Amino acid sequence: MFNRELVKGSTSLILLQLLNERDMYGYELVKELEQRSDNGLSVKEGTLYPALHKLEKQEYIECYWQEQEKGPARKYYRITDAGRKLLLEKTREWQDFVQVMNKVIGRSSHGTAEE
Amino acid sequence: MERPKSKFLKELAKGLGNHQEKDSILREYEIHIDEIFMESQDCTNEEELMERILSRLGSPDEIAQMWKEELSVTPSNMKWLFILLNIIFFCGGSLFTLVHNLYKWEWLTKLWNYVTAIPTLIAFLYLFFWALLGYEIGRGFGHGGRRLLRTTFLLSLIPNLVLMVLTVFEIIPHGWFAPLLTRTFIIACILFTVVLYPVSWLGYRWGRKASI
Repeated sequence: MFNRELVKGSTSLILLQLLNERDMYGYELVKELEQRSDNGLSVKEGTLYPALHKLEKQEYIECYWQEQEKGPARKYYRITDAGRKLLLEKTREWQDFVQVMNKVIGRSSHGTAEE
Repeated sequence: MERPKSKFLKELAKGLGNHQEKDSILREYEIHIDEIFMESQDCTNEEELMERILSRLGSPDEIAQMWKEELSVTPSNMKWLFILLNIIFFCGGSLFTLVHNLYKWEWLTKLWNYVTAIPTLIAFLYLFFWALLGYEIGRGFGHGGRRLLRTTFLLSLIPNLVLMVLTVFEIIPHGWFAPLLTRTFIIACILFTVVLYPVSWLGYRWGRKASI
């Protein structure tokens, strides 16, 4: 498991990345995150919604309710153009940071601790 | 099996207070808990189910606390905070000028002389206030903060414009601002006022980078 603060600081970036691929609802976002990270990045699911609300307030994502054939309507989130632009900027920043950190700790850009 | 859900939502509702978005927030958590239920066939009783909800979602108090933090950052609060701060600067400055001119207290005259000897430093500190205004709006409201920046800027500028009019039309005696009110100082003030918006805008751009 990773440091809680590190994960917390990356939550918005992760959410934007997932929503950049398709519109999703809250529970779907949690499942997608768990699946992709092999359960390595698990967040308290209740904290996800304030994070989504913040992104919505910042106009990086928007939401809509969609009726389901079975069960109650779900609130879907989709990324906006401003969100895509920010995601691109932040992804570059993140990649540069990882590259520099790898240089500093003496490993190749995709290196692992064993190498 | 509905009881753990009701209990959780009731506690969360209590923690959220009377916010206008409360119903929408609770509805989303209700749907999320329903999804957890569907995956929790292994839970044999209500206690186990409640434990599952708490371990996955977190406690209602924890969640309510996060929502309170999130919902406390509103455009209106941010706007009035900066308008009020600028009014406080102006009222402080006005009171300082007025008392200095009316009472001529020795200690106040010393302070006045010291302050009027460093107008450039004060102007730069004041520019920092406007940069901070932009930064906080950018950080809190990201891309959505553009309109808020414009509104807050224009409303915050009112005391500055009022003082300018009062000074230009000599409603406030020029002698009160001695030895500050030179031609150079007036031009510098106009230039500083012109650059206030670009400074706030740069602060906003910087804050927007830190918004996520």
